[in-house]
Amino acid sequence: MKITINGKETALAENPARTVESLLDELDVAQRQYISVELNGEILERDAFGNTPVQSGDILEFLYFMGGGR
Amino acid sequence: MQTTLRFDSLLVHGGLEPGPAGATSVPIVQSSSFAYETAEALEDVFRGRAVGQVYTRLGNPTTEALERRLALLEGGGAAIATASGMAAITTTVMTIIRAGDEILASSSLFGGTFSLFRDTLSNFGVTVRFIDPLDLEGFRSAINEQTRLLFVETVGNPKLDVPDIPLLAEIAHQAGLPLIVDATVTTPCLATGASLGADIVVHSTSKYINGAGTSIGGVIIDRGVFDWNSQKFPHFEQFYKKYRAFAFTARARKLVHKDVGACAAPFNSFLLTEGIQTLALRMERHCSNALALARILKRHPKVAWVNYPGLEDSPQHTIAGKLYGGRYGGLLTFGTGEKASAFKVINGLRLAKNLANIGDAKTLVIHPASTICADYNAEEKALMGVTEDLIRVSLGIEDCRDIIEDFEKALDSV
Ligand SMILES: Cc1ncc(COP(=O)(O)O)c(C=O)c1O
Repeated sequence: MKITINGKETALAENPARTVESLLDELDVAQRQYISVELNGEILERDAFGNTPVQSGDILEFLYFMGGGR
Repeated sequence: MQTTLRFDSLLVHGGLEPGPAGATSVPIVQSSSFAYETAEALEDVFRGRAVGQVYTRLGNPTTEALERRLALLEGGGAAIATASGMAAITTTVMTIIRAGDEILASSSLFGGTFSLFRDTLSNFGVTVRFIDPLDLEGFRSAINEQTRLLFVETVGNPKLDVPDIPLLAEIAHQAGLPLIVDATVTTPCLATGASLGADIVVHSTSKYINGAGTSIGGVIIDRGVFDWNSQKFPHFEQFYKKYRAFAFTARARKLVHKDVGACAAPFNSFLLTEGIQTLALRMERHCSNALALARILKRHPKVAWVNYPGLEDSPQHTIAGKLYGGRYGGLLTFGTGEKASAFKVINGLRLAKNLANIGDAKTLVIHPASTICADYNAEEKALMGVTEDLIRVSLGIEDCRDIIEDFEKALDSV
């Protein structure tokens, strides 16, 4: 299946059990505590990472607050 | 591997990443800004899609190395290094409070913090109530609908009172409020923020963490344990939603720290990563020298009184022993009865330097009533425990025989 992560189309193996949390593990995303997630344009509550499934066509943004100077 | 190291090893290795050409000290990245090959790459960093440096006011590799180490030393969390200890306190408080809010603070604070709370913040519609930090019921009963945080020092400077921080934390948490602790005097060596139950720890790193009196600095450590999801903190809502435990650090980094601009200089951060390596060794000596001098002064015929939590008859002895592992810090105060003789003692000292600082490798003294506390009225001085005859001593790490001889000779002149 294909999803978009931070503007890049990404191909993933089919996995119906995949959640946002498990995707962060799968991609080995660093400094997890400083990341916020937007799913299809909406901020995803942190507590929902573990029970939000990732579906084909989803648009995800993993955003750090450490770097950017906004 | 770093988080599994013991404390004294973390002082040396915590947060250290391999440097260029195998360098083992933290590289000084003396650059105000950081270039990217493409517009897309810089856009990604600004948006937060990628981690990267942008501008040293917001972050810097040398400063980040220091921040990683300090966060590990406090028992985990996120750290923000600042230009000074006052910058750390100002940034912390401004991240949490808004106009109309109230702060409950210890009445025996360091003078700069007292001035920030009493004079500066009052111009922005913030009320600060000062309470004796040993009066736990006073703290509990002073909490009202407007209270947003509690602020205390681990050991009051220069009063040397030792509040029961874990109990104050309990009082704060029962009311849904964070406890901010200034642990400059005790350093993470004598107790970590985690062991004290503080939510946010601040230090003036200018003191023991630097250790050599070479630069001014501060740090804020957010332990990531306070629940900001509360009607008291509606301004944290977006940050809580996105970052949960680290809502405070996110709000500080994205707003107050960035906007106030009191960032650490890379060279100062380097000096701190060097200095902090020997913190545990130095603290041992600061503490043992303080105890040795306190005992000598206690018996000296020209000394009217000595205040050191390490003396068995100090009212603070039991609680200080319990919270700080039987170590009582490097500060003591004593009096000779009057201002004139205090000045004579200071003028008679050769080794000890007369200056406004603490936590140096060198032994330091000051007469607070005429210097760092000169702006305060008699009532305020009394709250801070500052009498006209009080001399504050910050014990250095010299051979304690030389320190004792210096004070004995100076006292002879009285
Ligand atoms: C307990 C305490 N907190 C804060 C500060 C302020 O730190 P700085 O001088 O680094 O701004 C000091 C400085 O003397 C201090 O002793």
